[in-house]
Amino acid sequence: MSRQPLDLTINGESYQLMVEPHWSLLQVLRRELGMTGTKENCLEAECGVCTVLLDGKAVNSCILLAEQARGRSIVTIEGLGDPEHLHPLQRAFIDHGAVQCGYCIPGMILTAKSFLDECRGHVPSEAEVREALSGTLCRCTGYQKIVEAVIAAARQLNSWPEEAGRAS
Amino acid sequence: MSFAFHRPDSIDAAIAVAREHGASARFLAGGTDLIIQINRRRIAPEHLISLAGLGLDTIGETGSEFVIGAMATHDAVVGHPAFQKQLKALTEASAVVGGRQVRNIATVGGNIVNASPAADLVPVLLTLDATVELRGGAGTRTLPLDRFLVERGRTERRPDEILTAVRFDKPPADSATAFLKAGRRKAMEISVICVAAHLVSDGKARIAIGAAASRTLRVPAAEAIVEKGGRAAFAEAGRIAARQMSPIDDVRASARYRRLLVAAMVERALGICADRIEGKST
Repeated sequence: MSRQPLDLTINGESYQLMVEPHWSLLQVLRRELGMTGTKENCLEAECGVCTVLLDGKAVNSCILLAEQARGRSIVTIEGLGDPEHLHPLQRAFIDHGAVQCGYCIPGMILTAKSFLDECRGHVPSEAEVREALSGTLCRCTGYQKIVEAVIAAARQLNSWPEEAGRAS
Repeated sequence: MSFAFHRPDSIDAAIAVAREHGASARFLAGGTDLIIQINRRRIAPEHLISLAGLGLDTIGETGSEFVIGAMATHDAVVGHPAFQKQLKALTEASAVVGGRQVRNIATVGGNIVNASPAADLVPVLLTLDATVELRGGAGTRTLPLDRFLVERGRTERRPDEILTAVRFDKPPADSATAFLKAGRRKAMEISVICVAAHLVSDGKARIAIGAAASRTLRVPAAEAIVEKGGRAAFAEAGRIAARQMSPIDDVRASARYRRLLVAAMVERALGICADRIEGKST
């Protein structure tokens, strides 16, 4: 055991942790902090269920060392909204029935958020959304409704740019 | 499995750590390949030396050159305004490396040093006659990328050397590049074959092919007939390229299919370059 101190900023809060250098960010989120909204599956950046935002951009937390997140801002699904204040993407996924088993959804929503933030108000085409989500797999194969939900959320974010969830 | 994690505060400090620990140390760029290799227990470095925060992530230009820092991500290449017209192939290649989550972390330097024959950006850089800049205990040196690459997983990099940047001349206005990738699905896939081409209207031609041999290769014989024959020679260039490759059968495709792809994709990539120069396509 050779734990080292590591300060991480997660969902706007600072955490002082002691971590082993080889621990992934995923491992720290789930096992050290109990933030199990971020899912664990392939551990090789193939499936995308472990996606979190690092300085606003979607990354696979399974192959990112926690050390690599030092000094950077991490957002997990726990930080995106809450039951009273859903992010427009979360609302759209519910409204479109885009959630089947649910396992891929945290990663799907964060991947979509990173993508829509880059779209800066432009509503992407279905093909663009499908490409953007290609690193996040849904083995229920519920892609059609997921894509529809992302486009609906993009329209909403576009028409109400002051939407509270947009800044998060 | 564990290792010591080093966060040097300068390039020289990073080199010093590498010299101290020799073969038991590895430099960490984005880690999207390295961490997977460690997790699979294919490699077991005792020291990881982070290259983050050393100012190696910038994409800059001088009067005559572009300089891409080794730590620039594929996402940064895709979003770079200078890589839209004559250098569009850079964007086309970086845009199809893994999924978005990988492109946001994986670096240009990692794509080169990893020396995968299927690296998507490498054929494009070869067609631009790129050079790599290496800094190590013995100083700084530059090497043509074509000489830097040895074979699958092997380069001319010495253990204490950091690939700091890749450079290439700004292409003339009347030139174009193109990149094509074949995979089993349209996105988030390792290349079955990838092809880059670069044409200048004065006749200069460059063709490079990935995933068809033990390293990414240029095809000088195919380039030469295009330089002489222009558009009429594109199909023959494809046939020459297919003959010169030595593809393998693997889980992604058969060697025979790969050869067919090389012939077709070389011809097509050259055609796209010619159309782009003539303004017929973007």
